[in-house]
Amino acid sequence: MIVVDILSDALFAALAGVGFGAISDPPMRAFRFIAVLAAVGHACRYCLMTYAGIDISTASFIGALSIGFGALWLGKSARTPMTVLYIPALLPMIPGKYAYNMVFSQIMFLQNLGNAVERTRYMEMFFSNAMVTCTVVFMLAVGATLPMFIFPARAASLTRVKY
Amino acid sequence: MEEKARLSDVGEFISEYSAHMMGCGVHTSRVIRSARRIGVAYGYDVKISVFQRTIILTLFDRETHEHFNDVVEVQPLPISFEHNARLSALSWKAFDEHLPLSAVKEEYQRVLESPAIHPFFVLMMVGIANASFCRLFGGDWLSMGIVFSSTVCGMFLRQKMTGAGINNYIVFVVSAFIASLCASASLIFDTTSETAITTSVLFLVPGVPLINGVIDILEGHVMTGVSRLVQAGLLIICIAIGLSFTLLLVKDSLL
Repeated sequence: MIVVDILSDALFAALAGVGFGAISDPPMRAFRFIAVLAAVGHACRYCLMTYAGIDISTASFIGALSIGFGALWLGKSARTPMTVLYIPALLPMIPGKYAYNMVFSQIMFLQNLGNAVERTRYMEMFFSNAMVTCTVVFMLAVGATLPMFIFPARAASLTRVKY
Repeated sequence: MEEKARLSDVGEFISEYSAHMMGCGVHTSRVIRSARRIGVAYGYDVKISVFQRTIILTLFDRETHEHFNDVVEVQPLPISFEHNARLSALSWKAFDEHLPLSAVKEEYQRVLESPAIHPFFVLMMVGIANASFCRLFGGDWLSMGIVFSSTVCGMFLRQKMTGAGINNYIVFVVSAFIASLCASASLIFDTTSETAITTSVLFLVPGVPLINGVIDILEGHVMTGVSRLVQAGLLIICIAIGLSFTLLLVKDSLL
């Protein structure tokens, strides 16, 4: 059952990554690599959070790191810069639920200005969700970009044709 | 040995090339690197300073001590990874194969004129993507269907409004409102409607400027990085505004 859960998580992450990638007009040859990276990254985060009990920001960082290294490795075969592969692959990991709760609690805060208890509750909800959203997005970007700093020469020459 | 390409010709090409790359969502250090590479390919030093809306560059000929200066405006273009990949590859090609400038310009034009992915294909892909996203957040099959259709509505509207040249912020507010309003139809059914409303607007998240912004800041291009993040932040606020209209309408059913 665990395997099915992980596989279905990977499958839907791949679909989401490819679909969101399509908005940014990637080269056709990049789609399969984006799908693989999105699946690996999201499944990695899913496993860490569900089975290892790791928090969302650390798990996102590790997931993004695996996507980053994957993009560095696959970029040569796809002949695309790393960002073309890893930005779409990261998109399924954007913490939409927390971002939504942030907006929702902001609205409810403004609707309950006269009620001190409710107001404080929504204020707290707003800040904790904002904290998670911002941290996770930052961790995603840092994690995926890190390989670019570790191997700058390779990252800069992925589109070069080797003779 | 063939004659060296004229300083002004190379300079003009590099300004156009770097402005196009910057406009279509390439992170700053790559723009600078590729521009320098093309300069080196023709024997000129390129000194370049990149801002969000303009690029200032100087080409220098070490032999004749001539300079070429240019300030070029960066036009906001639709994000294109295809252009990013092919133009980066073009800079390596110019560098490795010592192509004449005319050949590089021709290739550049070909890249610019190559057709983008068909909008209908994008529409369907985005619908499927957002439906899968809904699944990842724990939505059931009915919610996925609702998210698919509301995303298609929102995205279709976005494509049409962008095509009509309407202000981007307005496009984002309206698309987010319509997509979430369609998704709020899920409240009628016994389903994971909160998840459906949450996910319905996520196709608008400006992932490329967000991540490019962080990359730029980490690489020391703090100004362009921050301006990209500010831009992305404004778009996210627009999504939030669009979503709030829907939430204000349906909040009693959600509590």
